[in-house]
Parts: sequence; structure tokens; C-alpha cells
Amino acid sequence: MDIQFVGEHLLPGKLGQFFIILSFGSALLATISYYFATINKNRGKVLESESWQKIARTAFMLNLVAIIGIGSCLFYIIYNHLFEYHYAWAHSSKTLPVYFIISCFWEGQEGSFWLWTFWQGILGFVIFRKAKSWESSVMTTIMFSQTFLASMLIGIEVFGTRIGSSPFILLRTAIDGPIFSRPDYLSLIQDGNGLNPLLQNYWMVIHPPTLFLGFASMIVPFAYATAGLWEKRYKEWIKPALPWALFAAMVLGTGIIMGSFWAYEALNFGGFWAWDPVENASIIPWLTLIAAVHVIIAYKNSGHSYFTATFLVMISFILVLYASFLTRSGILGETSVHAFTDLGMFWHLVIFVLTFLSLSVWLLVSRWKELPITKKDEETYSREFWLFIGALVLTVACVQIIATTSIPVFNAIFGTKLAPPANIIQHYNKWQVPFAVVIAFISAFSQFLKYKKTDVKKFYISISVSLVVALIIAGIIGYITKVYGNAMYMILTYASVFSILANAKILGEAFKGKWKLAGSAIAHIGFALILVGALVAAATHKTVSINNTGTDFGDEFAKANNPKENIILYKDEPVKMDRYTVTYMGDSVKGVNTYYRVNYKVIDEKSGSIKENFDLYPHAQQNVKMQQIIASPDTRHYLFHDIYTHVSSVPLKEEDHMGAEGHSDDKTYEKPVIHEINIGDTIRFREGFMVIKGVNKDAKIQNIPIKNGDMAIGLQVEVNQNGKKYTAEPIYLLKGGVKYDFGKTIDEAGLKLRFTNIYPAKNKLELTVYQKPKAEKTWIVMKAIEFPYINLFWGGTIIMVIGFLLSIFRRNKELKTA
Amino acid sequence: MKKSSIAGIIIIAIAICVIISTYSDSSTYGSFTDAKESKSELHVVGHLDKQKELFYNPKQDANYFSFYMKDNKGLECKVVFTGTKPQDFEKSEQIVLTGKMVGTEFHASKILMKCPSKYTKDKIEVNEVKTSKL
Repeated sequence: MDIQFVGEHLLPGKLGQFFIILSFGSALLATISYYFATINKNRGKVLESESWQKIARTAFMLNLVAIIGIGSCLFYIIYNHLFEYHYAWAHSSKTLPVYFIISCFWEGQEGSFWLWTFWQGILGFVIFRKAKSWESSVMTTIMFSQTFLASMLIGIEVFGTRIGSSPFILLRTAIDGPIFSRPDYLSLIQDGNGLNPLLQNYWMVIHPPTLFLGFASMIVPFAYATAGLWEKRYKEWIKPALPWALFAAMVLGTGIIMGSFWAYEALNFGGFWAWDPVENASIIPWLTLIAAVHVIIAYKNSGHSYFTATFLVMISFILVLYASFLTRSGILGETSVHAFTDLGMFWHLVIFVLTFLSLSVWLLVSRWKELPITKKDEETYSREFWLFIGALVLTVACVQIIATTSIPVFNAIFGTKLAPPANIIQHYNKWQVPFAVVIAFISAFSQFLKYKKTDVKKFYISISVSLVVALIIAGIIGYITKVYGNAMYMILTYASVFSILANAKILGEAFKGKWKLAGSAIAHIGFALILVGALVAAATHKTVSINNTGTDFGDEFAKANNPKENIILYKDEPVKMDRYTVTYMGDSVKGVNTYYRVNYKVIDEKSGSIKENFDLYPHAQQNVKMQQIIASPDTRHYLFHDIYTHVSSVPLKEEDHMGAEGHSDDKTYEKPVIHEINIGDTIRFREGFMVIKGVNKDAKIQNIPIKNGDMAIGLQVEVNQNGKKYTAEPIYLLKGGVKYDFGKTIDEAGLKLRFTNIYPAKNKLELTVYQKPKAEKTWIVMKAIEFPYINLFWGGTIIMVIGFLLSIFRRNKELKTA
Repeated sequence: MKKSSIAGIIIIAIAICVIISTYSDSSTYGSFTDAKESKSELHVVGHLDKQKELFYNPKQDANYFSFYMKDNKGLECKVVFTGTKPQDFEKSEQIVLTGKMVGTEFHASKILMKCPSKYTKDKIEVNEVKTSKL
């Protein structure tokens, strides 16, 4: 290229690209060195192992530096709005506040890969410092994965195919356009495309890092399992892997719920979970990991379920890779609105998944005969047996989600053309509610079972009280929350209440001194609360903006049993909606958003007193150029329910066109009305009346001299409109035998008056009245949903995370004392 | 046989049932012709006919939106959706409808559209604002 481009900053990009190559090279070197360090260690060649380890450690530190370098360069580019880079141009704009610039980072695929590799690097650092004898073998796997992630960012062509996608590609390289033949093209690009408005939400600043920390930390238990099989330390790996598995489950779980909270707060699909493929992709590995944690504990205490534990730990990480394939390869195109589009990494991602899958399968198969699988049979009344069953049920629940989510993958492999079920939510609930019931029951009664063998009588006595009390409480809850119509929902409520009670009993014992038990009891209570909260909110949420007032569009349309869920509100006209009286009060513009103020009142019908009174401000970004709105809801939170409101349609603001004043200005008025009048007459118009007060025989007109023989007469009119008075004096001019008239406008009243003629014969004067058309009433179309008891869902999450934290502390302590 | 093995087999059996039922639950992608023959809900993929009227007048009915879509075989049909006009509808390149035929109209219960969103499409907005560089 011969053109010398003006104003480009090429250094940060070149530096960034250098760091990417460095991170790839150093990760590869670290993988190989750690591999040989492990091999030599196991052959007893201590010296060689140590020198390999030295190389590996240096390479690892270099890798960490490179990753931080990539992040810094990318941040520099976005922060300084260097739009010569495609990433900055595509994902940010000058108007973004600083804290959203962080979100720009992970709006694109490259940035989210970076986030993943960053967390994996940080976790690697912890392993590197703490893992001791496990360092070489565990780090081999982690660095292998780092190598893969780095390769996703390379963006260099090898043998005609581009490998990965670099965030440092220049705009003029990424896109063809005639403007790039101009050396000064940068001066024409004023601003970037900006961040998707839906992502401009504070939850979007912290949700992706949390989720990716969860994904990244899944590799640690996987790496331990791999190392355990590889080094034939079959039983040893379980212990250090357990706190990591708990950590990953906690962080990923938190990340998923944060995403759900963001969807609830910022998206207008009206809910907290929609079984969207992208959501499913994140919950699939979480479910298998939860199952894994339980069988690990079963194995630790009883020696049973070794294979299941290893298998689930390994499959969880492979499912993380599968999830990233689903969301990043573009395969979900027709089923999800959230998935990324393909960046040409389809096969790259497939190789990533298959490599780790075949590695795990190979390890399991080749070590199969040596695995410490017990031949003993479990007791039916033992905790390990039910932990195992619970894990299996979780796995089947997961299989169901995978099956439906993978329909596009199935189509791609077999060339079929299946579509996802028409009513997707119903489809998932049909399966997941029964699974949830079984899991809730098991999580309750297995707390009363002991490892190895339990006294059956004692067991039944201790659970029977909880079973009966749960029945009563579940009945009450069912009655209050009105879920009693559905048998399956009632059973789930019962199972969850039973789980809460049973675990509360364990927690009670924890307070008496058995502190070890507190973590799992609290986590289970939290989980059961999530189930109840999700069930009640999802089953009984109610669209309150039901509106059947629309004009009939024929019988066929009326018969359709779709509820009409949107309501139109005109400004200042209260509408009764369910138990609320809602009024649209007007809008205000702040930044890019228009806020629609909607007042809600609950008026007591008997006394007429106002019981509740609040305003909600659902907002929308209006993009005049694109003729579109992007709406975000506003929610009134109560302890026991939420009122959720979003606008679904609003009048589009027109681009301000200052109409050319003057000649064509009559067009903005309605057809004029001509009156023949006399002094003292009263004329009525739409919003009032006007009185002809008199005539002014020597009216003066600016810049027009009145000569002899000319005549200028002013008509004194007093206008009364809605109690307000205005005066005007339109002028009639006869100059040199030609008639002219000078009208007067009263902008506030929307009137224009012209004194258009004089009829001496009739002794009448002619007044022409122009009136502006009645201002159109402004309106919004909105939808409102009441979510009862949703706080149980959020609250349960917090409790569950606390439970996880306590468990992590406990298992970590065990590790140190052991 | 071990109890856990039996449980495992039962669970695998359930899992197979789950998968089979998932695929029997699945819907199909079809055309308007298929929709006329079928009574159940199905997915129709096509694109918006931009020549014909998009009707949405919230003052008349805030929950009635109609438009004309051409399916992938080129057949055109009037589509009615009980709800508001989705944002950016005019710009959609591809539409996936879920619903069924009612008389001569296709009643959609769900609309999924693919837009050349400004966030994915590489179209540069050039502002011919000359910065007075000296």
C-alpha cells in the first residue's frame, strides 16, 4: 500500500499484536515444558524435571505479562477512541461514559476470549504458587487450554485460512470502502458505532467478568482430574480439586443469576429466564459440575462413585467448551437472538472441543482397569447412594437441556431441518419441573442419611416431622401464591419446602456446634428458595396491562385466544388497569434516553383514598436515523412483588425541521374561516371567542410609508382562549389602488388573523381566521407485569452463595489439616 | 448386579426417552403451503414484503400488527401478530415466524428477526464534516 494515512496510531495495535503472538508462543512453550517436567518427574529424573519446570515457569510468567499487555493495549485503543481500529470503531463511541467503556471490551468475541484467557492466567498463577507437587501436571492442561485461547486471538493467515480473530485489526483492513483510498479517511470517521444500548447497564459491567471467571475456573478441577489419571494419582486428586469445584460452581452460579437479573432489569422480554440457547449454554456445565461436587463428596466419604465423579468433572469442562462453541460459532443463528455471529472460527472451536474431549476419553479408557472402582454394593439407606442418584438426576436434567439446545447442531450434522419446539418454555418446564421435584426431595432426606449405613427407623422418625410440617406450609404457600391449580407445581412447592425444613434442621445442629454442616445446609436452603421463587414468579406472574378495547379486526382475530397484553395510554388520561390507575404524565429526555413517566395509583374504591402512589420511568433510546426504539423497563420493587413496566411502542420523534418561516406558513394551519363582521361582534372558534373592539384608522406599518390616498386600517381584536386574553391588530392596506394585508399571529393560541377586506357597500369588514390543527395527543403503548415473590429467587441466590463460601472454607481447611 | 449400576441403567433409559421426546416435541420449518395443510404450530422462514403495508395503529388497537411476508418458496401471505410492532421491523432481512394459519391469515405467536443491526454490520457512516485543518 502506497498511501500514507494521516492521523493513525499504529503503535498500540502493533504492540498488542506482538503480545498476542507472545502469549501464544509462551503458552505453547509452557505447555511443552510442563509436559516434559511431569514426564521426567514420573520417571524419577528429578534434575531434568526441575530444569524443564524452570523453563515452564518463565514461559508462564511471560504468558501472564503478554495477556496483561494485550488487555492494556486494547483498553488504550478503546479509551482513546482510536477508530482506526475495527474493534474500537465497532464497539465504542465517544459519548460512552468511562464505566461502559469497560463493557465495550467484552461486547465483541475477541474481548470475551481475552477475558477468559485473563482469568485462566490468574487462576494459573494461584495454582503455580500453591499446587506444590501438582504444579507441573495440572499446569500442563491449563497452559494447553491457554494455547488454544491465544490461538483464537491470533488473526493471521496460515495456508490461506485465517486463524482466530485479532482485536487489533485496522478498520481499513477489516472493511472495504472507497473512503480508505483517501489518506485522510480518519477525519471523516467522526465516531464509532457505539455499544449496544441493551448492554449499557451496570450489570453488564460485572456480569461477564463473573461468568467468565466461572467458566475459566472450571478448568482447574478438570486439570486435577486429568493430572490424577495421567500420573496415576487416582485417589489423591479429589481432595485439592474439591474446593476448586465448589469455587467454580459458586462463581458460575452467581454469574448466571447476574445475567438473569440483567435480563430482568434491562431487557424487555418480561422475565428472568427464557430458556434461550445462550442462557442454556451457561447452565449446562453448571448442572454437571453441581452433580460432580456431590459425587466427589460421596467418593471422599465412602469410596463409591469414583468413575462418576471423574467423568462429571471432566464432562463439565468439555461442556464449557461446547457452550462456547454454541454461542460463538454462529450455529444458533435461527434459534437465538443473543448469540454471536460467526467470525470464521467454526472449525477452530470444533477442534478445541474435540481435542479436550478425546484427551479425556483416551485417559479414561487407557486407565480404566486401574481406576479405584469399588465392587461393593451400596446400602439403599446410605448417603452415598442418594448423592449418586441425585447426581444422575441432575445429569439427566442437563441431557434434556442439551438435547433441545443442540437441535441446530443436530441439523448441521445430519442435514435435517428440525425447528425447536413451538412453545419452548412449556417444553422445558414440562421436563425440568419434575426433575427439580426429585432433586429437592433428595437434597432434603439425604441430609438425614449417614454414610455407609443408616438406622432405618431413626431415619424415618427424623424426616417424618419435616414431611408433615412441610405439607402444611406448602399448603399455605400454595394458597397464598395461588399455584394450587397445578398439581405438579404444588408437588414442587412441597418438595422445596421439605428441603428447606430438613436443611434448616441440619443448620440448627450446626449452631449447636457441628459447624462443618452449615455450608451445605445453607446452600441447599438457598437452592430450594430459588426453586420456590422461580416457580411462583414464573407460574403466577400476571400481565396487568390486559387490554381488550381495540377495534375489531374481524371475527377471526377476535377469536384468537392470545391475550392482548399492551395498553395505550394518552397523556394525562388515567386508565384503570387491574387494581392500578395508571396515567402517562409525559416524557423527558436525558442523554440518549427518553424517560416516560408513568404514574401508578391504587385507589381504595370505598373511601376513595390513595393507598399506593408511585411513578415508574420506563425508558427508550430513540434513534431518529434508524427509526427505531430500544426500550428498557423500570420496575417497582416491593418485598413480596414487583411491578414491571416497559414501553412497547411510542411515537417516533421527528427530526427537528425548522419550517422555513414565511410564505408557506399558511400550510401549517387548518383551512381558514372567513367572517364578515362589524365592530362589537363576537366570533367563536374552537377553544374560545374573539371580540372586535374597534378599528385603528392610522395604523403604522414598519418600513412602509403611508402616502396621501393610501389607507392603512388596523382591526383591534381581543382573543379569549381558555380564560387567557390576547390582543392583536391585523392591518389592511390600500396602497396605490392595490390591496394588501398584514396578518398577525398569536403563537400561544395557535391563531393567525388576517384583515382581508372591507365592503363599504355592505358596511362589513372581512376577517380571516387561521387556526392550527388541534395538537395531537401524545401517547405510549406499554406492557406491565406483576411478578409476585420474585425476591425469594434473588434472596435464595444470595443464601446459596453464602453456603458455597462456607463449604469452600471447610474443604480448604480439610486440605491443610490433612 | 450393583444397585448403582441398576440405577445407572434406569437413568440412561430415562435419558434416552427424554431425547426421543425432545425430538418428537420439536417443530418443523415449513412454508405457508405447509402451514395451510397442518393444524399445529410451525415455523415459517421468509422475508418481509416491503412494498406492502405494515399496519400498526396503536390508537385503533395496540395489539394488532399485520404485514405481508414472502416465505422461502416465494409464496406471500398476510401475517397477523397480537402485539406491538417489533422494533426495527422494517429493516429485517429474515423473519422466523412461529404460528399457524387461521383462514387466509397466518397468526404468529412469535416473531424472530434477523436484522443487519448497526452493531454487526460493517457499514461505515461517513460524516462529511470537514474539520478545518490548517
